[in-house]
Amino acid sequence: MNEAGSLSNLRILDFTGELGPYAAKLYAGLGADVIHIEPITGDPLRSIGPFYKNQPGTERSLQFIYYNAGKRGMALNLKEEKGREIFVELCKGADILFESFTPGYLDELGLSYDDLSAVNPRLVQTSITPFGSFGPYSTYPGSDLTCSALGGFLYLAGIENDKPVRISDNQAYRMAEVYAAVGSSIAALFAQRTGIGQFVDVSCMESVGMALETAAQCWDLEGTLRRGRGKEAGTATIHPCKDGFVVIVAIMGRNKGMWEPFVQWMKDEGVEEWELFDNDHWVEQSYRESKEAYGLFCHIFERFTMKHTKQYLYDAGQAQRVAISPVSNGKDLLENPQLIHHDFWKSVYHEPIGGEVICPGAPYVFGNLKWRLGDAVPLFGQHTAEVLGECGYSLDEIEALEKEGVVYVAKS
Amino acid sequence: MLQNLRKALEGIVVCDFSWVGAGPIATNVLGQCGAEVIKIESKNRPDLLRTGGPFKDGIGEGLERSGYFANRNPNKKGIALDMSHPKARAVAVRLIKKSDIIINNFRVGQMEKWNLGWEDVKKINPRIIYVTMSLQGDSGPQKSYMGFGVNLNALCGLTARACFPGERPFGTGTNYTDHVMAPSHTLFGIMAALIDREKTGKGQTIAISQLKSAISMAPTSVMAYAANGDTLGPMGLGDSDAAPHGVYTTLGYRSWIAIAVFDENEWRALKKVMGNPVWAEEQRFSSMKDRKENEEELNEHIEEWTKTLYSDWLMNELLQNGVKAGIVNDARGAVEDEHLRKRGFWSYLDHPVVGNTLYNRAPIRLSKTPLRMESAAPLLGQHTTSVLTGMLDYTHEEVNSLVEEKVLI
Repeated sequence: MNEAGSLSNLRILDFTGELGPYAAKLYAGLGADVIHIEPITGDPLRSIGPFYKNQPGTERSLQFIYYNAGKRGMALNLKEEKGREIFVELCKGADILFESFTPGYLDELGLSYDDLSAVNPRLVQTSITPFGSFGPYSTYPGSDLTCSALGGFLYLAGIENDKPVRISDNQAYRMAEVYAAVGSSIAALFAQRTGIGQFVDVSCMESVGMALETAAQCWDLEGTLRRGRGKEAGTATIHPCKDGFVVIVAIMGRNKGMWEPFVQWMKDEGVEEWELFDNDHWVEQSYRESKEAYGLFCHIFERFTMKHTKQYLYDAGQAQRVAISPVSNGKDLLENPQLIHHDFWKSVYHEPIGGEVICPGAPYVFGNLKWRLGDAVPLFGQHTAEVLGECGYSLDEIEALEKEGVVYVAKS
Repeated sequence: MLQNLRKALEGIVVCDFSWVGAGPIATNVLGQCGAEVIKIESKNRPDLLRTGGPFKDGIGEGLERSGYFANRNPNKKGIALDMSHPKARAVAVRLIKKSDIIINNFRVGQMEKWNLGWEDVKKINPRIIYVTMSLQGDSGPQKSYMGFGVNLNALCGLTARACFPGERPFGTGTNYTDHVMAPSHTLFGIMAALIDREKTGKGQTIAISQLKSAISMAPTSVMAYAANGDTLGPMGLGDSDAAPHGVYTTLGYRSWIAIAVFDENEWRALKKVMGNPVWAEEQRFSSMKDRKENEEELNEHIEEWTKTLYSDWLMNELLQNGVKAGIVNDARGAVEDEHLRKRGFWSYLDHPVVGNTLYNRAPIRLSKTPLRMESAAPLLGQHTTSVLTGMLDYTHEEVNSLVEEKVLI
């Protein structure tokens, strides 16, 4: 296959589960041939909610559907010798292998990078794990929360002595996945040019280190240990309104040019006591950081915001060039006029649930490459026979492999 | 040349007009992989982050002491070129001819004003990848709405759930989306276009939407609403598939440990490390379902135990017994962490003004073409002469006269 406007000439193997699937999804989104390989027991992500219509089931996990749409799917048992032979066959024809096994697991099975590279020197093998393939923690178990904590990222999500709070969608995993996709693409381009593949080691703990903003430099340059923003009046503060919350950056640093449109907005809205905002001490960060300033800001601003919806505040504030935004929930996002204008939301029909699932669309637009969500989501073992057929296995052989528990073939 | 001395992106040249946030983070990674990144600034229009703290020793004078700027700009060459000068475009054009990638995150229309929009640039160099970045795209009812990373965190849905029940949302405490979603999708887009160019021989445009790339990495809120009509609640520190799952107080100032238990084996291991206390054998903690239902009391019991212990000792004990655990490191903890140090995540680079200061490499280890941290963030215009005479074939006399005419400033 060599379809124009796509990466269809790349073949990607995606042997990942809860940690890993967004990496290969980025390739599937640009038309690469991605085969999602599941263990014979099924991808653990299949059992993670939320589920379609809130009914658990192996074909009903919304995250599984989103992260694996546009990939083909097969089920393979690496514990069987013949399963490992199939895996090696697949690697022969692959450009990139994504895997998220505990470091050392594949080596013990005789499937180390050196083994795989021997059959395909161009292969890029990208390992996505909590702590990476070497180093003191490499074989320890890790999770999204513990990696976020160790890397210094979680600490920032709080102020003063408060415990930090967690963000959704396993961001430590997502960060590792997206950097795994980047690292693999860099290695794949190098392999195309030189014929030399390599091993790419990506860890969640390092990946969250990309999200520390200035924290490491605050320590290194000033000896200070920063936490999150949240109580500096009007600088990234969150305020309640009639139907939720809004976030506002009315000023940063000593930027009076940002503050003035905010004061004008408050005046135009006839906000009670708006005049108190018309004072240069708000331009001083030290004042805004005081309890008094934060209290006063909330007192005046929230009397106003509580009368209005987040959408009103968003439109009215932005019209005055004030950086205010809604704290969106799922409904707000689905109804967001800008995203609707761009036809951002896409859907994929999934046969076992008999319905369409709405998913996020393209993160970018290219001049030549075309983004796609994918026409379908792989059922468990759906393409096992097809992929084995492409590797030269006969129907009889495939049937025998299934009987021996080496593969699972979905019944069509 | 020996394999391990090669650089993955050797020979790739980046004409980098990007500034402030997401753009420079992306080009920083390209530089670490061996691309030649030429960052264009001017004393009349320096990168805004040069005036953003933290500053070396807390002294915010001049343009060369910012750690905020430095963090995103190592391994680049800096040239001073005032694009508002009529003679500046010719210099940019010479660079564009040599470049594989041109990137900017200006407002829509700025590059066109300099006659350096895509239509112009592709005539200069049809193989170039032309990268633009916008908050929400360049059309639509909210195309000109503005915002910082914290605005985008909220708009994309991440902030709403980052809170404790009954409290106001908090978020990440940072401009998260600027640091992660936008630069990483920019990088992947660039690499996909370079791979496509191997086949087509042609460059192309890439327009990254910061909002859309953020939503792509945080899909559940909207999917759950669309499929089930549900508005997902606050995360707190929990996880729907784990208990205990939280952050627990340990000995010391702002000291906590994160512990996450996803199955019965891990629960047994945790009980063992706790010394198999009587409370843990109660029926109400005996299965995941039971522990979820009684999570508050469960967490109180765990914290009662952790609060008299040192977090580092506790973490080692838990990890060695197969329990997922991690100290909630502050920046110092992360910088001094043995694992990150052994993996060479941090490095110190010598800077002409602020000396040896801290940087980190991208979280990608390539076995045969390792990433390199070679030079600290450039002074404004540090490499003007060397780039113009070395790469762009200007003579020293020509450079001097462009300096005198205030083109190179």
